[in-house]
Amino acid sequence: MQVWAVARQMISEGIRMKLALVFLMLIALVVLGLPFSVVGDSSLTGAVQSFMSYGLTASAVLLGMLTVFMSRSLSDEFVHRQIYITLTKPIPRWQFILGKWLGITSLNAVFLITIGLTIYGMVFYIKVTHPPIDKVIDEKELANEVLVARHAIRAQLPDFRKPAEEAYERNREQGKYNNVPNFDPEREIADLASKFGARWRLVAPREYRDFTFKNVLCDRSPDHYIQVRYKTDVTNYPPDEILRAMWRIGDPYKDTAVYDIPVRHVVGRYQTIRVPADAVAEDHTLSVRFSNENPFAGEKQYFNIMEFRPGSDVEVLFVVGSFEGNLLRLMTLIMCKLMFLAAVAVFMATMFSFPVACLTSFTVYILAGTRTFLFDSLDFASNDTATMFSSVKEFLVQTITHMFTMIGWVIPDFGRYDAVENLVNGRNVSLVWVLQGIGDLAILKTAIVLGLAMLLFYRREVAEVSV
Amino acid sequence: MIDQRDIPVVQTAGLCKTFKDFWRRPRVEAVKDLNLEIAPGEIFGLLGPNGSGKTTTIKMLLGLLHATRGRISVFGRSPSDVSVKARIGFLPEESYLYRFLVAHETLDYYGRLFRLPARIRRDRADRLLDMVGLRHEAKRPLGEYSKGMARRIGLAQALINDPEFLILDEPTSGLDPIGARQIKDLIRDLGRKGKTILLSSHVLSDVEDVCDRVTILYGGQQQAVGDIDDLLAKRDVTQIKAHDLSEDTVAQIRDLVKRLEAKDILEVSNPRERLEEFFLQIVEEAQAAKIVTSGARAGTELPEFLQQPTARTEDVVGELVTAAKLTRNVEKLAPAPLAPDDQSTRKVLTDLLRSDEQTAPAPTAAPTGPSPSPGPACEPKAGDAGVIDALIDHTERPTKADDED
Repeated sequence: MQVWAVARQMISEGIRMKLALVFLMLIALVVLGLPFSVVGDSSLTGAVQSFMSYGLTASAVLLGMLTVFMSRSLSDEFVHRQIYITLTKPIPRWQFILGKWLGITSLNAVFLITIGLTIYGMVFYIKVTHPPIDKVIDEKELANEVLVARHAIRAQLPDFRKPAEEAYERNREQGKYNNVPNFDPEREIADLASKFGARWRLVAPREYRDFTFKNVLCDRSPDHYIQVRYKTDVTNYPPDEILRAMWRIGDPYKDTAVYDIPVRHVVGRYQTIRVPADAVAEDHTLSVRFSNENPFAGEKQYFNIMEFRPGSDVEVLFVVGSFEGNLLRLMTLIMCKLMFLAAVAVFMATMFSFPVACLTSFTVYILAGTRTFLFDSLDFASNDTATMFSSVKEFLVQTITHMFTMIGWVIPDFGRYDAVENLVNGRNVSLVWVLQGIGDLAILKTAIVLGLAMLLFYRREVAEVSV
Repeated sequence: MIDQRDIPVVQTAGLCKTFKDFWRRPRVEAVKDLNLEIAPGEIFGLLGPNGSGKTTTIKMLLGLLHATRGRISVFGRSPSDVSVKARIGFLPEESYLYRFLVAHETLDYYGRLFRLPARIRRDRADRLLDMVGLRHEAKRPLGEYSKGMARRIGLAQALINDPEFLILDEPTSGLDPIGARQIKDLIRDLGRKGKTILLSSHVLSDVEDVCDRVTILYGGQQQAVGDIDDLLAKRDVTQIKAHDLSEDTVAQIRDLVKRLEAKDILEVSNPRERLEEFFLQIVEEAQAAKIVTSGARAGTELPEFLQQPTARTEDVVGELVTAAKLTRNVEKLAPAPLAPDDQSTRKVLTDLLRSDEQTAPAPTAAPTGPSPSPGPACEPKAGDAGVIDALIDHTERPTKADDED
């Protein structure tokens, strides 16, 4: 009850803070204004995707900033000395800290629910008001590729390690590596495997590639559908920039339905083929073959080598949930981040004055948001074979890396729980993912930071020198 | 088992507080070797000039600062003990309240921190707002309050839990004379109900009016401590008060004193009314005429929940509260003059009568006091008896009236 009393007081303050009002107006401006300014690729799907992507990202960032600013309430308790009265009441100090955090978190929850509902409403507003290219196709595409929660499985590529090892042995026997300085056999095998992989990804005219998907745990009845999503690049752009090819989906050896799908579309953009789910075998595998051949008689196909580049692998998708559920799970993940951030802001406010607390909280926010990028950058800057004392640069890079690794025990990787792209692409934001977010961010890391805040606050002399 | 009444409400032994700088070097020794004991039901004054360590001592009693050395206990426990805080009410030197909350929300918030049920919170908030005269301003954010109004709501929050021990740091600071008087009346009333009160103030008259005992700090050290009557009593001077006396009567008394005691009367004068009382009288007249004001209104009497004797001191204060009848009559609540030793006064006056009977001529002036009652040892002349009885009655009356408050 006492925790809730402090939380209620925090909520009252938050609602009456002009700062909160400004942030909410900014969020409203973004969420309500975007549909009128963002068009995406002119298609209905593009408009909805752009709106959701910008709207959700901007809202999450602004709410993060607001969370940090709301911790001012705690700093103000020290500055205006209300804490002198509050802590003379029978409330344990840890409950006071918990109450402040709960207040900020409750406000965030209310704001986030409001934003979620607004975004949901605006999606349907865009759907109704967006100028159609082909109304039926537009809406079908939106329903099948965006306003849905699909589970995606990537194709299993062949194992290139074995042919790479064989090639390495051949080269070694031929003495190709005899005069290579600092030769590393493992690195050579990895390089060869990479080259085999790159070659496999290239599909010459009249060649084909087979992709196998496992654990396609969808409803296999023919009235349900699966989607094959892919992007094909070409070594040389044809003059008409059109790609013509043939997909065969299904495995006759496993007694599934087989669908031949001729495709004709612009090069270098993601495409989705929709076929009945009875193409999936009983053992929940799916076989897909891509043929670089022109199935359209009378249409000229320019000679070209097609390529499935790394990072844009072929995927099979099937529906596992609704857009509403997906949005709810995404909001939960955003909420987990805000809960952690609120704990950081409260922790900093128990130690520092508001400007310092604000600055340090933002630093944590930025570090959490860019952790992957920072580690990648540091990894890129560091020479794998060099020791820490090889050079000044190496010393600095490795010191910062070690420092970040230590901080990483407490500062989470927000990028790991960034699900906006999933929602925008109609990918399932899985419950497991959300539970991981709750466990990692909302429970473990938040508890660590709040625990530290409580510990420090417990021994702190809250009154100032006044002699 | 230890009786709660045996445990001092506050006890410090060798208490020290040293403030340190960023590098942990001692900078200021705010409190030095303070030994303090406040008994249950006592109204204790903490006096001292600025920087003498009063507020630091209070902050240590509240657990807002930690002692550098020495021991400190409140209700026999550490000041940081939550169960101790449930029994304390605190009014800080300034009103550190949430500017965005209205009065009701403020009291409700603090009531929640004491885990008071909603009904009781509402009831107490209403009664306290009535008491401090802010019922009509209860819907305004505290940020809009004047300093005096903020002090009043600060006092209300300090009483929301019906505390056994009330710590008031400069309670009359920023208050108009009406508010200051109400606070003093309140302190006296609460004292009679068995509450223990620690009053820190620069306004010496406030402390003198209400405190049983005081300690005076200077430079963080205790300079004096004791009963206020003991500390202030002028043993070598006797004061006699009477209704207006004629010059002739005064001359006779002067002669009588000279003859019996071989001493001169130092001063005979008509005391002035205190400005405080005169001011209050004017304001009361204005209030009676219903002149509009946007400030705090006249407060009401002590709310019922604060009138209950403090449980742990009930039998101690039982007699005190038996005849207690709350009233705002400013004349009745006039600060009690220092009570002289009644027996010795009566003896001197009886002696005066006796000697007067033997030597003095009959007075010509008519008695102005109440009708005299016959003394046990003699039958004085009507005029003298009236004067002397009036002197006795008037000497006794304030103490009596004070008890009836």
